[in-house]
Amino acid sequence: MKGLIFSVKRYAIHDGPGIRVTFFMKGCPLDCWWCHNPEGKATGQVTTERIDRVGEREFRSEELVGMEYTPEEVLAKVERDRVFMEHSGGGVTFSGGEPLMQPLFLTESLSLLRSAGFHTTVDTSGYAAPDVMRSVMQYTNLFLYDIKLLDPDAHRKFTGVDNRLIISNLDLLLEGGAEVILRIPVIPGVTADREFMEQLRLFIESRRGRRISGISLLPYHKTGISKYRRFGLPDRMESYSQISNGHLDDYMAILQPLGIHVKKGG
Amino acid sequence: MTERVMRLREQSLNATETITAERAQLITRFYASREAVGLSAPVLRARAFEYLLRNKAICINEGELIVGERGPSPKATPTYPEISLHSMQDLDILDTREKVSFKVDDEVRRIYSEEIIPFWKGRSNRDRIMERMTPEWLAAYKAGIFTEFQEQRAPGHTVLGYKMFHTGFLDLKREIADAVASLDFRKDPLAYERNEELKAMEIACDAIIMYAGRYADALEALAAAEKDDGRRRELEQMAAICRRVPAHAPRTFHEMLQHYWFIHLGVVTELNPWDSFNPGRLDQHLWPVYKEGTESGTLTPEEAYELLGCFWVKFNNHPSPPKIGVTAQESNTYTDFCLINLGGVKPDGSDAVNDMTYILLDVIREMRILQPSSMIQVSRKNPDTFIHRALDIIRTGFGQPSVFNTEAIIQELLRQGKSIVDARNGGASGCVETGAFGTECYWLTGYFNLVKILEVTLNNGFDTRTGVQVGPMTGDPSTFSTFDDLMLAYSEQVNHFADIKIRGNNVIEKTFALHLPVPFLSLLLEDCIANGKDYNAGGARYNTTYIQGVGLGSITDILTSIRYNIYDMQRFTWQEMLTAMKNNFEDAAEMQYEMIYKTPKYGNDDDYADAQAVAVFEIFHDAVTGRPTPRGGIHRINMLPTTSHVYFGSVTGATPDGRKAWVPLSEGISPFQGVDRQGPTAVIKSASKIDHLRTGGTLLNLKFSPEFFEDEESYGKLTALIRSYFSLDGHHMQFNVVSADTLREAQKHPELYRDLIVRVAGYSDYFNDLGEDLQNEIIRRTEHGEL
Repeated sequence: MKGLIFSVKRYAIHDGPGIRVTFFMKGCPLDCWWCHNPEGKATGQVTTERIDRVGEREFRSEELVGMEYTPEEVLAKVERDRVFMEHSGGGVTFSGGEPLMQPLFLTESLSLLRSAGFHTTVDTSGYAAPDVMRSVMQYTNLFLYDIKLLDPDAHRKFTGVDNRLIISNLDLLLEGGAEVILRIPVIPGVTADREFMEQLRLFIESRRGRRISGISLLPYHKTGISKYRRFGLPDRMESYSQISNGHLDDYMAILQPLGIHVKKGG
Repeated sequence: MTERVMRLREQSLNATETITAERAQLITRFYASREAVGLSAPVLRARAFEYLLRNKAICINEGELIVGERGPSPKATPTYPEISLHSMQDLDILDTREKVSFKVDDEVRRIYSEEIIPFWKGRSNRDRIMERMTPEWLAAYKAGIFTEFQEQRAPGHTVLGYKMFHTGFLDLKREIADAVASLDFRKDPLAYERNEELKAMEIACDAIIMYAGRYADALEALAAAEKDDGRRRELEQMAAICRRVPAHAPRTFHEMLQHYWFIHLGVVTELNPWDSFNPGRLDQHLWPVYKEGTESGTLTPEEAYELLGCFWVKFNNHPSPPKIGVTAQESNTYTDFCLINLGGVKPDGSDAVNDMTYILLDVIREMRILQPSSMIQVSRKNPDTFIHRALDIIRTGFGQPSVFNTEAIIQELLRQGKSIVDARNGGASGCVETGAFGTECYWLTGYFNLVKILEVTLNNGFDTRTGVQVGPMTGDPSTFSTFDDLMLAYSEQVNHFADIKIRGNNVIEKTFALHLPVPFLSLLLEDCIANGKDYNAGGARYNTTYIQGVGLGSITDILTSIRYNIYDMQRFTWQEMLTAMKNNFEDAAEMQYEMIYKTPKYGNDDDYADAQAVAVFEIFHDAVTGRPTPRGGIHRINMLPTTSHVYFGSVTGATPDGRKAWVPLSEGISPFQGVDRQGPTAVIKSASKIDHLRTGGTLLNLKFSPEFFEDEESYGKLTALIRSYFSLDGHHMQFNVVSADTLREAQKHPELYRDLIVRVAGYSDYFNDLGEDLQNEIIRRTEHGEL
């Protein structure tokens, strides 16, 4: 069994507690306008042109985006950084793309990692079959769970899919006792307004008593632009601006009464 | 920072570096006088020391609380013609060189041309050394295979230990009298030598007390003339302190700082030991007197803080003694490498972090000056808060404090045979050099160019740059049927040059023992008095002589490239590779590209590449470690470059890692610039594959952008990174927090900054992989976040 991974990051410090290794898995059922890992969207391997410079000369080569890993290879890779994880309370994170798009590989990898003593985190859009959710849940210490929009129509417009499955999966996790950190992309003109934040507060309020251990507000940055160019993709966010720090503080203030740790960024 | 300290700090920062002929003239007059005739070497040096201290100018800067300068005024830098003699041309170079010039006025030139040069020409210790070196040594030296520390400076690398913070020179005189009384002229054939040395030590004791007395006189005179009541009281108090220390052991905070400072001045006036003399574990020494003073109400925290500011300025007033010859032109460092140690463990092994540790961290942060430099010793017993406070300073990007592993230092010292208490009282000095403070005489003798030796190996022992057969003929590499054959040849060459270097070291060591004893410095190191033996002759409790390996990252990448591209993948033939080296990759850009981008590299936790780092380390270690020295010491290795990786690169042609000719080598045990692509955990894993505990120090630089220091949570992760490296026995790490300027450089030369990771937004990415607009945004953000 093999999984397709487009990037492995060591010293990942924004994808869960401690120092982590993050595996970015290929394929995503969503099509978010603001996606900053567009190379992760397609399910298969894609090639990109890499340009290296030696003095004045440029060398072009084809680079494959997407490497196949077996769960054992994942474990071996993670073992190399065990010392850092043990000193920092860190572990392994699967992100993407959407890791739940490769459920067998993911479950097998998580199970191996857990039996080797590693803390596991899955960073997900929540858009997956409930059965998949259930099987992954048993080997996962922490979910980083995206809540992108609460209104189903708007969700469909900006991400390409309905959010009802996402919300029912969230409840499935919470009722099953899973620990979840909610990640909220703060997108100008989409979610960056007080009204949305108020709604979000109510949404979370109604799930009080569950293990929602944090809320991360992820401000939209024009970081994906260079990637869009590199991969020759259109950028639908071209006319949107970035979020100011002051606005972000406002939104944080709205959510703070929940008594859940709110922070900016991952 | 009080207004006084602000003013003194400004004065120090603004003072122009000058050369003063004061010391050169005094030492010359003394050596030329009748007084110098017929004395034994130690007594001659002690009398010279006494003459210097009796006649050198007294300098009391306005408003200062700690007195004494190496030269007649701040940044007036003396010379040491008995060690190495500046020519008129050297003085011109120093005066006009682009980086860190030292102004030389006409009077200094006149004194040099009329008095100093005529007397010392051909008679300095440098002349003595060069005359005694073998042709093989000189050829290797000229080829750039090694450098020689003692060629222009005296042996140093010594740090004051616990004892001298609690001992006055009158106490030492009693110890000397005891030692003299126990000399046995009937049974000990060395009794006469010991007696002469002890006589010299006693003269040195009197000399430093006399020197402090001159300050007391001057301060009293100033006080008498002072109209401002506040300053008059200060001057009177300072005079009383100079009457008290260093004759007697210091009792108060102020006395202890002034006591140390007189000792410091004594050491750097006697000779110009390599690397500044150093107070070492300053938080440990100062804490008891601080506590006592603040508790009894004789000292306020504000007064203590101001005194520390004044103390800090004194170090910054002392640039390193300027070099001569080629090095004067090339050297762009003038820091004297005084390294304050904070934290670590107490003699009983318990956590040594105290309030004074944190106060000194505040001083470091606020003073923000080049000297003294600072480091934290991190023991597993120290709290994380201690590290966090240090990270808070590190993030401001001025390179201080560096971070050391106390447990590694202790194990290194124990392995060398030190007692557990002496090991715990130790630390690092200079850049990263392990030592037992107050008890060990550890000399650094020169950098050893591990890369150049491979170049020589590839040319069958011939140095193409100087056109000399410097090494043995170990074979034409194209006849090596396996990679192991190459390693055998390389090992033979390393051993050959280590032999040459060690033979040279032993001769040089002996010249210092015979001609340049240091009776004053000998007073400060434990067991010199009891042994009746000079510091330079093996009098100290422990004696170590180091050779510093340079270019581990480069040599690893070079050997890996040969193993990979010639033997395992058979991408190129030896002939093709050697031709490309010879032509500096002219018409071989394809090959250079493959070497840089398509070949495994050190620093990525890649066992294939890192195996060569371990192999080279073992070869170098075995070639040096354990070889005895004339003063009863042992040769050992450490892995640090200071700035020699630049010089060594400038004498080394193109190399099979894709590096072009004359480009700097990798520094310390860090990867070659830009080749580590897997982040800091991978660098740490690679760097910890060599056995740090069998060295006397290694140096690892890690590059970070300021965003990695943004909050408590990121401090926690950096702390875990440090503790992880140290649990793998890493010796030292330094965080290089990049500035906006560095990022701009990276935009211009992406190939040199492939390793540069920046925080983008909720995630990090390689700077090179970002689009220009985003790069610009990060540059702006970095600039904004900078202090």
